[in-house]
Order: sequence, then structure tokens, then C-alpha cells
Amino acid sequence: MTTIQNHPDTQLPYQNQYQSAQADTFHGAGSSDIDELIQSNPKLWRGCDMAGQGIHGRSTGFTQLDAILPGRGWPEKGLMEVITPHWGMGELQLLIPLMRSIVEQGKWILWISPPYLLYAPALVQAGINTDQVLVVKLDTSCKDALWSMEKALQTENCGLVLAWQNWLPTKVLRRLQLAADTGDTLGVLFKHHDSEHSPSPLRLKIQDSYSENAGFNESEVTVIKARGNFRSLSANINLYQQA
Amino acid sequence: MKDPDSEAQLPLPCIAPDSGAQIIQLPARPKNVAKARPSKTATDEASAKPIAKRSRSKNLWYALYLPQLRELDSTQQKKYLDQLAGHMQSVSSTVSFHPQALICEIRSSLKYFSGIDVIHQKLQRLIERQLQQWNLADDFFYAASPTVSGSLLLARSGNNVLVYRQENLRSALGQLSTDVLDLNKEQRRRLLNMGIRHLRDIWRLPSDGLRKRFGSNFVNQLNMALGIAAEPTHNYIPPPAFAASYDLPYEIENLDRLLPIADELLAQLCDFLRRRDLSTNSLALSLLHEKRDSTVINIGLRMASRSQQHLTLLLETHFGRLSIPAPIVAIKIEVRKFDAFFAKSESFLENEASRLKPYNDSNLNQFMEQLQARLGENHVKSVSNATQHCPEYASLQLDYKENPNQGGPVAISTEVCANPRPLWLLQEPKQLNINKGRLFYRKPIAIVSGPERIETRWWSGIDVCRDYYVAREHSGSRLWIYRERIGKRNWFLHGLFA
Repeated sequence: MTTIQNHPDTQLPYQNQYQSAQADTFHGAGSSDIDELIQSNPKLWRGCDMAGQGIHGRSTGFTQLDAILPGRGWPEKGLMEVITPHWGMGELQLLIPLMRSIVEQGKWILWISPPYLLYAPALVQAGINTDQVLVVKLDTSCKDALWSMEKALQTENCGLVLAWQNWLPTKVLRRLQLAADTGDTLGVLFKHHDSEHSPSPLRLKIQDSYSENAGFNESEVTVIKARGNFRSLSANINLYQQA
Repeated sequence: MKDPDSEAQLPLPCIAPDSGAQIIQLPARPKNVAKARPSKTATDEASAKPIAKRSRSKNLWYALYLPQLRELDSTQQKKYLDQLAGHMQSVSSTVSFHPQALICEIRSSLKYFSGIDVIHQKLQRLIERQLQQWNLADDFFYAASPTVSGSLLLARSGNNVLVYRQENLRSALGQLSTDVLDLNKEQRRRLLNMGIRHLRDIWRLPSDGLRKRFGSNFVNQLNMALGIAAEPTHNYIPPPAFAASYDLPYEIENLDRLLPIADELLAQLCDFLRRRDLSTNSLALSLLHEKRDSTVINIGLRMASRSQQHLTLLLETHFGRLSIPAPIVAIKIEVRKFDAFFAKSESFLENEASRLKPYNDSNLNQFMEQLQARLGENHVKSVSNATQHCPEYASLQLDYKENPNQGGPVAISTEVCANPRPLWLLQEPKQLNINKGRLFYRKPIAIVSGPERIETRWWSGIDVCRDYYVAREHSGSRLWIYRERIGKRNWFLHGLFA
């Protein structure tokens, strides 16, 4: 948009129309002009229309999040990153419905060196069969943890692989992404910091939000990047529905 | 068993018919044997040969009788006899079990060992040493004769004798007391009443009458001892063992270059397993170094397998984290434990039911084995829920291998209380600070719900009296905190709802 405005010499047939349409949106004018514009020019499209084309995700269990994810849910396979300023911001609550559906499929969940002890009663309360949960201990070296993650992602029996790793080089991420694609599995990396050039197809950020009506009950989940979405979207979700 | 070509080849002479002695004392009295030896040279070759031809029997059975085993229970006896049979295999390929006795065929090995004396001395050494190891009396009885039962009866009688020719058996056995026979109480009493004390007394009785009075088993027993009736034996078959080694043409330091060679040995192993319809779940691979102890890799499998591909993959994983102290000069694979092979049938049509049940899937097992091979046995844990009131004890992390439902110390269940529980528990509860009258962790904390009172473990000495709350930190985390109801009434962080 801005490039067009910055170069007034470029003569495009729809330039004036476009500028006026933009001005309308800025002034809060009705969307009818935009619709008209889109219909009149095949080179224009709405970014949100692309979402979900040909991709059918697995519902996240949170309607607000489904709405902003391409495919209306979690991807079936691949690597995703969940970024939280510190551990325990509700990132596991976010994945509980996913874990439940994976266990129901008869697949396994592998936790690779989680920072705290995994507590079985909570898993049972969430409806996750603990027989299908395996934990790789915390004191495993980073190299071994990544090796196990790659192997687990390649194994079809593992439906979900969760790992806690900060600062992974792009090369490693690409390799994990490839492993997840071959094994039809979903890998989740929990990190503290976002890296813009990460090749993971889905990056989420969980932040605290305080709103007047919901108080502290909701967290802000931002989809920083999702293959199929053109801009980052965010939603306020009450992650602790049961607690 | 091949018959020796001629009598002359045998190192021990047959006793000349005119020598009178039909029984030779074995090395217990070696002088007699020595005496018997020259008797052959004295015998006219021409007159001995026709007799030899006539009397040549196919086998010579060496019996070993161990009365000291009788006091042990049957499983122990079986175990000991099994081991002794292993020793006896060093002189004969045909070893059979009898009550407290072992019998092996030695005629086929006489030439190789150059005489029964050598065989006996060899066995005596082995067996005495073994008996001493078990703290048993190290004496035993032995005898050799052309029939299995004959040798057994002679050994039982306690005369350590050798009867070389079948026609001499009757007179040798005749001297034995009837006690050596395997009889029941009634038969024993009847023999005694008939005035029969020795076997030779039985020879004189008509066999029809004997059969009527004592049953055909009794008559058969005697006939077998004399070599008249055939006597099948069940031979001892040693458990299978696999060992293969390869001496490298040059020293290898790079384990990657060793892989193809190890692969070759594994191929041999898999071939061995396939031919015997076996599979294995543990193998030991030794890497031999010059002037150093060898590096041994023990590979254990969760499910017995004979897939070369799988074994190679596991070996590769082991090699991946192995560092060797010195170059390798040779490689060796040994397998001692075997399992019967169970073939799995795979469905022709991939149906939904089989896709939903991957618990016993070999894929997963192979993955887990690989994981454990790389990370170590106790690095992969399974999580289970226990029926414990105390929060710390309600979750168990067990080694994946262990089956928690079998004899575990705590009951595993799927029952949980209705109160909220966090997904993450801290290893140790962390004390919370109070800042300006407010609870503080990383940021101020506000209580959301609670309390849930837990009072337990008063019997263990460390009393647990806590009020649990669900709290919310100002950064968005949900915390599980508690306040002690005894002592200093401090606040602790115990878990994160994450």
C-alpha cells in the first residue's frame, strides 16, 4: 500500500480509486466500497480469505483461537513454536484438547525434558491416558534431547512431541520440521524468545492481558506466524477453564 | 555310531577267554589293567579274531552313578546332572540321563582318546572338581559295559568295573545283588521270599514264569541289561549358543568402519536364529583391543527379535555414543539367551482397528529401544497416577520398562480427586515471600480459589498439614500454592497449572 503512495509517478489504472478506498477505510467508511473494489479488480484479494484453503486443522478446543488459525485449528503435522516469557503461562492448557484427541487416536505423547515434574493426576483429570505418555528426563543433554525429538517425530506412533528448548539454530529447526513431515507428527517447541527468521510454520505467543470485564482470567494468544495467514492475529482466551 | 573296524585297533584288549577274568577293575586298580594288557600279546591272534567278530557289540556305555545326589530335590538334581552332562560331552556326543546317573557312549571315542583309561581320568578330574564346587562328596561310581542298563546296574552295585564283551555280561551281572534292580516294595519282598539274592539266581528261572509273577517290565529290564532287548535312550542336547568373531586385518579406530563388519556378524547370527527357529533378546558384542580389556556392549531388546535390520540399527545407536579406549583388533558377538520365535501376522487389509491399536506395535518398541540405547535405561520414564492423598506421592515416574501394575509398591489407578491439580509439580516446594502484605513469587499473587485442606502422612514422622489454593500471578501464570498449618505457617509454591 505504502509503496504506491510513495511513488506518485507510477501510473496505475486503479491508483486513484485505491487511494480513495483506503482513505475511506481509515475514516471508518463502510466496507461496501472495498467489496466493490475487490470484485472489480482480480489482482486484489482479502488476506483472510486465504486462510484455511486446502488445510484442515484439528480443532484447538478454543473457538476464538480456531477462528484466527489457518485451517481453523492446529496443523496435522509439522513443527510449531509456543513462545512465553516464562514457563507456565498457560501453554500446556492451550494444548490439552489437542493432547486428548491424540491419545484418543491411540498415539503417544513424548515430553522431552520438561522443566518441572509432569503431574499425573492433572493428566487424568484432563482425560489423558497416562499409559500413552512418556517423559525423557530433564538432565538429558541438549544433543540427546534433539536426537530423541527427531527420532520421535519420525515415528508414526508418536502423535505429539513436546520439547523445551531455547535458541535453536535454523538448521536444526528445519531438520525437525522435515522429521515431523515424514512421521506425520506434530512437534511443539516451547521457547522464551521469538526469532523472526524461524522456519517453523506456526508460531504462537502467549501474553498476559488484563481487561476490565474479564479481569485476569484471559490470556492473549498471538499467532505471530502461520502458514496461510498473512498477518499476525491475536485473541483473548480463557485458558484455565477448569482451574 | 560307527563300529570300529577291527578289534586290533582298540587300545584296550578284549579279555582272552582262557584268562578267566571276565571283569577288570578300572583305574581304581590300575595294576589289573596293566596285567590285562600283556595278556593280549600272549593270545594267539588267530584264535582271538573269530571270537572278537562274534562278540563285537556296537557300543560301550560308560555309566556314572552319584548316590550323593539322592538327598537333593529333583530340580536341583536335574540342574546338577545338566551341568555334568555338559562335562561328559567332552568325551562323547551321546549322553543320556538316568536317576542320579549319567551314561555316555564311549566306544566311538576310544580311538581318539587312546584308551578308556584316558577317558576315565579326564572325566574323573572334571567331575570331582565340579562336585567339590558344589560341596558334595567327590566320589562316584562308574562302570562300562555294552548295554545301558548293564552299565547302570554295575555302577549302582558299587563295583567300578569294565565289562567289554556282551557275552560276559551275564556272568558279570549275575554276581550283583538284586538290590540294584529298580523294583517296587512288593516285588522286592517277593524276590526275597523266593530266596533270590543275586541276579544269577534269576537267570536260572524260566522267563515265562517270571513274566507272570513280576510283570513284563521286570523281564524287559533284565533283557535290556543283557543286550537281548533294544534300549532306546533320550540324549542330552546342549542349549544353543552362538559365538562369532572376526579378526580385523588392520586396527580400526573409526567405529563407522566397523559397522559393515559387525553387520556381517549380525547376518550370521540372524541366519543361525532363522535355521533354529529362534529369536534373541540379548546379545553381547565385544570389541577387542591390544593389551587392554575388551569393550563389551550389551544389547537388550524389549521384544525378542531376529531382524538384522533392527539389530544393526540398535548397534549403530550404541556405536554412536561409544568411545573406545584403543584401536580395535577383533570383534566378537556372543548370544547365550534364546527365545522361541513367534511370527507376527500382518493383516492384508489395513483396517481401522489395527491402526488404532499401536500399543504392541513393533515400531514403537523399536523406537523405545533405540531411545533407551541412546539415552540410557533410566532416562525414559512413564508417568502414572497413584492413589495417594499426599500430592507429592500421587504421581509416579517409573522406568518405562517396568510394568507398574505388577507388584508395584503403590496402587496405580485412574481415580483422581475432583479438586484442581496442576500439570507441573515442583521437585521441592518453593517458599513464597510476602511483600507489603501480598504474596509474591515473580510478581504479586492473588488467590483465585481454595482452600483445599490436605492432612496426611502423620505416620511417617513428617506431618503434612496444608491448605492448598489456586492462585494467579500478575504475569498470567496459574499457581498451586499452599500454606502450612503447623510450624511457621509459611506459604509455598508447589505447582504450575501451566
